[in-house]
Amino acid sequence: MEVLTFVLSLGTLYSIYVILAASMELEYGELGLPNFAKVAFFAVGAFTVGALSVRLCATLTGVALEGEFKLRSYYYATLLSARISSNPLLGLTVFLVTLIVAVPLSMLLGILASYPALRLREDYLATTLIAFSEILRVITRNYEPLLGGTFGAGVVDFLAWLRSPWRELTMLVLCSSLAAGIWFIQYKLSTSPFGRALRAIRDDELASVAYGKDVAKIRAWTMAIGSGMASVAGVLYAFYIGSVNPDDFTVARTFLVVLMVTVGGRGNPYGSLVGAATYLLLDRVMLFIKHNIPLPFDVNYFSYIILGILILVIIVRKPEGLIPERPPLTVKLNKISESNIIQHNTEK
Amino acid sequence: MIEVVVGALVYSNLLAMLSVGLNLILLTCKVSNFAHGDFVMVGVYTALTVSTILGVTPYACLPFALIAGGVISFALYRVVFEPLRTRANLVMLMVVSMALDIILRYSLHIYADLAQAWLKVHTRLFLFDDFLIEFSGVKIPGVLVFSSLTSVILLVSLYLLLFKTRLGTAMRASIENPELAEALGVNVKMVFGLSWFLSGALAAAAGVFLPFRAMVSPDTGWSMLLPTFASVIVGGVGSLSGSLIGAYTIGVAEVFLTYVLASLGVSTAYRPLVSFSAIITVLLVSPKGLSGFLNGKGWKPWKS
Repeated sequence: MEVLTFVLSLGTLYSIYVILAASMELEYGELGLPNFAKVAFFAVGAFTVGALSVRLCATLTGVALEGEFKLRSYYYATLLSARISSNPLLGLTVFLVTLIVAVPLSMLLGILASYPALRLREDYLATTLIAFSEILRVITRNYEPLLGGTFGAGVVDFLAWLRSPWRELTMLVLCSSLAAGIWFIQYKLSTSPFGRALRAIRDDELASVAYGKDVAKIRAWTMAIGSGMASVAGVLYAFYIGSVNPDDFTVARTFLVVLMVTVGGRGNPYGSLVGAATYLLLDRVMLFIKHNIPLPFDVNYFSYIILGILILVIIVRKPEGLIPERPPLTVKLNKISESNIIQHNTEK
Repeated sequence: MIEVVVGALVYSNLLAMLSVGLNLILLTCKVSNFAHGDFVMVGVYTALTVSTILGVTPYACLPFALIAGGVISFALYRVVFEPLRTRANLVMLMVVSMALDIILRYSLHIYADLAQAWLKVHTRLFLFDDFLIEFSGVKIPGVLVFSSLTSVILLVSLYLLLFKTRLGTAMRASIENPELAEALGVNVKMVFGLSWFLSGALAAAAGVFLPFRAMVSPDTGWSMLLPTFASVIVGGVGSLSGSLIGAYTIGVAEVFLTYVLASLGVSTAYRPLVSFSAIITVLLVSPKGLSGFLNGKGWKPWKS
């Protein structure tokens, strides 16, 4: 039983990380835009769930919310989850509505965040985006009516109508199918003409402008797609954890995603899969050590140090990552050779 | 009110030392050094350790902090940044410095745990004891006097080093054009290493004064980092004197705006927003910063 829970939660977390890494891969790996505000778009998804799930559910069931949100949101989340347990449709509505609100919101913010990239050099762009994500965190952390500030907000359990192992299993299936879909979109984009345009901009912006690429538009679209993906991850994460706390969305999380993409291999669509797996593996090993080997200090600190050293070693020794970028095959090789042969023969 | 003025001045003094150091690294190695805040904490914990062991006031530990911060910063350059100097792009260097930030921060956490057991003092959320200095009947907090003195002395010596010595000429030459300087016989590696040493030492010196005004933990370095970036950007990237002006602008603006807003009933927890929004506004609107306004110098962080 314990093994089952472990596997289910691992799979769910892996799916969420794959979504984040895939979006970062598209923006940073392919387009070369260091979106160091990644956590902000992840947070938009989670915050939408935190702010809406209880309120929406209360409106739908006709429950009047009383008292301060920061003190009562967990109570109402439990209360309303009980309502959902007898009404699956209500749970699905809450899930879909939060998703429908979060994704466009995040996409709009993403388009907005793509504009500084027109002017700023990459490192200042990254600093600007970090400042942007910290602004979002500081505001939500201190503006209590929205998300309960440091108290956080309770989230209703939209799968409360399922029993224990089935509930987690459904969550896993949901997360992994969304992750698979999003990864596939990323893969298709990467191997399409659009992906080639992205890499052209990354490698030489001026040349791609000269070849008639609308760089601003392509950047805005990529950021919109990437941010939409990240917000899906945020929605799933909020429902998976069951609460939303603004302090959970620090720059450290952006760093983890950058780490996954760098370790996996920038510019290779498979990199996000490998990067997320590497991180999660390392994280779980550390957790295992923490529970089984006594050390005189908190192992969490040590695991962060190991992560830092890992990324240093990768960047210094193998900067292209575990799976280096390869030029994508857009036409099957045998097709090329066949057509060449035919051409060759006709010339004869 | 006097308390606010003192707070603003001390904070600005610290920001001045920090932002000049950060800008020095930006100038020499083009690294947006996200580990800069951790050098501050190296200073804090050196001061705490030495003052506890020797039983002296933390002010007397300044030389130890200078050396500790400088040596750690220099070591990071030699081990990590020097091999990458010609290979990595700007964002890679930034990611590397973020990794170093994480390594340093959590090493300090572990050190804080061990030191707590070893020295039997609080190593998190502690304050240093300050004393008042009397000047012709006016009592001034020691931290104001000492932090002002230290920042003036250190920054003036940095100025003298850069502009009045052969070494300083070599440093400025390496900033302008490392290849040419190297061809003319300047040991660029050594010069860059020195600038990392100076940057780390300045940050650690700021760290000695920090716990007099604010309770610190190893994570505090991060909250000092973005205001430092804001000072550099407001002052104008590439201009050391600009950073100085930027530091006092940001320091005073942050403390006074928070004070004004707090008297209007807005939570003081919004304080970081001042420097965060300064970063975004200045970079997008007037990217050369104040020094660009004043003398047209400074670099454009914009794409050419």
